[in-house]
Amino acid sequence: MKKILLILICFFSLSAQAQDKGSMLIKNGTVLTVTKGTLPETDVLIKDGKIAQIAKNIPAPQGVKVIDAKGLFVMPGIIDPHSHIALDAINEMTSPVTAEVAESDVVNPLQINIYHALAGGVTTIHALHGSANAIGGQCVTLKLRYGTFSLDAMRMEGAPRTIKFALGENPTRVHGGGSNIVPRTRMGVEFVIRKSFSDAKKYMEDWDAYNKNKSVKGFRGAPPAYNLRLETLAEILKGNILIHCHSYRADEIMMLLNVCKDFGIKKITFQHANEGFKVAPELAAYGAMASVFSDWWAYKFEVYYSSAYNAAILTKNGVVTSVNSDDPEMMRHLYLEAGKTQKYGALTDDEALALITINPAKQMGIDARTGSLEVGKDGDVAIFKNHPLSIYGVPQFTIVDGIVRFDKASDPADMRLWADPKQNLDEATFYEKGTDHCMDGTEFLFTSDKK
Amino acid sequence: MIQRIDNRFAGIFFLVIGLFTLYGVSAQDEKPIAPVGRSYALTHVNIIPSPGKKIEKGTVVMKDGLITAVGTNVSIPSDAIIIKADSMYVYAGFIDGLSRTGVTKPKDEPGQQRPKDPGNPPAERAGITPQNDVRNWLNPSEKSVEELRNLGFTVSQVVPYGHFLPGTSAVILLSGKSSDDMVLVDQSGLYSELTGAQFIYPNTVMAVMAKWRDLYRNAMLTKNYQAMYVTNRNALLRPQNDRVLEAFYPVIDQKTPVVFKAEGVLEVQRVLTLKRDLGFSLTIGDLREGFLVLDKIKSSGAKLFLSLDLPDEMKKDDKKPKDKKDSIKTGTKPKTALDLEKEGLEKRKKESIARLTAQAAEFSKAGITFGFSALTAKTKDIPSNLRRMIAAGLTEEAALTALTTAPAKLLGLDDRLGTIENGKIANLVVSDKPYFNEKAKVRYVFVDGNLYQLESKAPAKPDSKTVAKGSWSYTTETPNGSNNGKLTIKDDNGNLSGTILNSMGKETELKEVQLSGSTLSFTFEFSMGGNTQKVEVSVKIDGDTFEGTLSPGKFGNFPMKGTRDPK
Repeated sequence: MKKILLILICFFSLSAQAQDKGSMLIKNGTVLTVTKGTLPETDVLIKDGKIAQIAKNIPAPQGVKVIDAKGLFVMPGIIDPHSHIALDAINEMTSPVTAEVAESDVVNPLQINIYHALAGGVTTIHALHGSANAIGGQCVTLKLRYGTFSLDAMRMEGAPRTIKFALGENPTRVHGGGSNIVPRTRMGVEFVIRKSFSDAKKYMEDWDAYNKNKSVKGFRGAPPAYNLRLETLAEILKGNILIHCHSYRADEIMMLLNVCKDFGIKKITFQHANEGFKVAPELAAYGAMASVFSDWWAYKFEVYYSSAYNAAILTKNGVVTSVNSDDPEMMRHLYLEAGKTQKYGALTDDEALALITINPAKQMGIDARTGSLEVGKDGDVAIFKNHPLSIYGVPQFTIVDGIVRFDKASDPADMRLWADPKQNLDEATFYEKGTDHCMDGTEFLFTSDKK
Repeated sequence: MIQRIDNRFAGIFFLVIGLFTLYGVSAQDEKPIAPVGRSYALTHVNIIPSPGKKIEKGTVVMKDGLITAVGTNVSIPSDAIIIKADSMYVYAGFIDGLSRTGVTKPKDEPGQQRPKDPGNPPAERAGITPQNDVRNWLNPSEKSVEELRNLGFTVSQVVPYGHFLPGTSAVILLSGKSSDDMVLVDQSGLYSELTGAQFIYPNTVMAVMAKWRDLYRNAMLTKNYQAMYVTNRNALLRPQNDRVLEAFYPVIDQKTPVVFKAEGVLEVQRVLTLKRDLGFSLTIGDLREGFLVLDKIKSSGAKLFLSLDLPDEMKKDDKKPKDKKDSIKTGTKPKTALDLEKEGLEKRKKESIARLTAQAAEFSKAGITFGFSALTAKTKDIPSNLRRMIAAGLTEEAALTALTTAPAKLLGLDDRLGTIENGKIANLVVSDKPYFNEKAKVRYVFVDGNLYQLESKAPAKPDSKTVAKGSWSYTTETPNGSNNGKLTIKDDNGNLSGTILNSMGKETELKEVQLSGSTLSFTFEFSMGGNTQKVEVSVKIDGDTFEGTLSPGKFGNFPMKGTRDPK
């Protein structure tokens, strides 16, 4: 018992300096760079959190930790582009447009499922606002630096701003059905989005006019009222915030593409996009991206028309495609989810691995920093026993910024950072597939006694 | 004990009256005694003029609400009432940095309809009333004033009830006949909590923070424009009045701080995020888990009041009787994985309690100035909680500092409060033994020169019977904000039953209602999207309040608190 405690203490004191960057040498692994091919018996050197060298027989610098990866597979840390873990609030479901709210304010670095995700080779997640609102809140990109109590230390510094949109049944059910306001239909959702963009455009114009005229002699105007919601929407129009839109049906995907075209918005990723395969050429032509499930559907009416070939069809049509979890359990085996595209669609190893590495990085705007093993990128690495796309793949080490955050050989039973004196035992719970977390916080609207 | 050095007839007369009045008060219904001149002398007393200093067998003289002389060689004015405090200890009156002492709770308005557009509710429903002033709810006869004063507290910074932006705070004396009488500093800060409204905007913490930024930046712009307008009233459009935004002006001018309640390690970081983004000066009250991000808090420069509440200590052999029973029945069984899991958690919880108890010690060792806040502490537990903090490494000197000089400084009142010195407000606490001694009893408290004498009361019987029956108002905290409602418990010759009314106006029958010792437990069911979810509740009743957890199965455990509705 004492020994375990000692190990725990060591772990925490090591990882307490969360934004510290580590150095290490990973020796003799099969290096799956994803973007630059597969390199047998190759070393990866990480210096101060960045990949410094990828080559054979790199001499170990003095005092640097060495991981013997002989017979193991070294891949870029897995990136989940659609997650709701490590957050204290998911849906601000009180209004169909809540662009001003930001998940970065409610990051919870204490959640144990962060460690679970690390145990699945995940190093970076896109923690999203839920899908209750046509225009939801801003999302946050997190590095899984588990071990810190600091909210700021979890955020991936310099990652672009992103925002969640949602189409179809969720926003119409919450606001039309739940609160009896617009949108009640898919038409209403389009109206809400168009009106929001138009309002934001006018807001920008009003401010521009005010700033231009305020020093002109005889000008009598007051400044427009500050509005954080419109400020945020204006940033979308300026291209400073990337849209990630919850969507399923081909018609609504086309609708939002048209809206984006009308307002000059270029950067958009469709989340889920179960019918994405129907409009793959249109998505590719626009430069829109897609983040899909491997084979999860039929949990509500609008997700019946689905296919396990979705990711492969999108990929073959030139759409930058990723596979996501939307679920803390599935997040732990995203590599298997990616592997399914080899059975359904015969993607190559690099194509399949790209679905959970470089492609989500592109969608989140962090591909210059992560998503592949290349010199100069962040030292985010997952090391597997057996190939990660095989059903025998098992993560052994997960490394974030050159610091080992998961080591299968040293995996204490109790990895909770903090035990609240009031907390009860977390008993095992089993969620049935179909309980996604996109709608967390809205349940009360659908109680059977509510009209 | 009390004499008057005055051989004039009138002196003897006042002596009689004085004696009568002093001995006539009980701890229950004491009233300030205001003899002519309000002149007192505490004699032969151990004076702790400031933390770490001591004057043995000294005298403290007070007149008209101020301390006029302190020392061993002090002449006692002829009109002073003498209190012989031989072998007693006198300290500067304690200061509480954040609470609702003396603040009347506005009546709940149950059954309010959800606004037609929940995304755009009236400001009051959203909890946005920063223009309100706590002075409107101050009442010197609130029980909480006397209760806190009886422990030696003489000053509190008090805030209105409500969430998000309930109004401005005030520093008050725990004495006086009227609201204005009590107030030492009005509008001492703008009070805020990161708590959302129920089912209306802003509901979640992230929306509360977004709305905070929106209001603050709007207030800055409006303020600037108003200033511009004043200099050029003929040429510019007249700005609109807005009481909500105007309430931020003193904060923007750095004249007053924002006073935030922030207990947890995440909550306090969120408050610091707002401070960093907007640049206001910040006071944090009721802090519990600050030691987990100590450096971050230290470097923020925020003024700190640590919570005087502590988690209950875990009883050493809490479970033994049960285990015994089991082992008799089944023999010695090997521990299951679940047993080990439970043991592991209990051990971690114990460690957490130890660290929470040592928060003040950790802050003190890190050289951080802090006071205490009584906001969520049970008043009667405060002395024992202080002793637990001292046992966990806080020096008595540091504890006294946090009760006197530090809060005086943090509130900007160190010229008038915090020490026993000439010219300071006559706020004193006198105990028969050193204050932090377990057996110490507070004998006299002076607030603003008014004397309150405490009778040594027999301790309340610990086995007074817990009554569950009646109507209760409860609140629960869930990730989606706080909820409140009514709980009604009926007692039919020991058979308990009842109903629970949630904030959506739905009443549900309770099942398995049981009272064992002071623990009330029950279950109820609610339907959600066609599924029925069983909810288990277990709360500990303490007189007219309860505290415990509400557990809707796999959704987790949420804190639940309640108070008995007045009959």
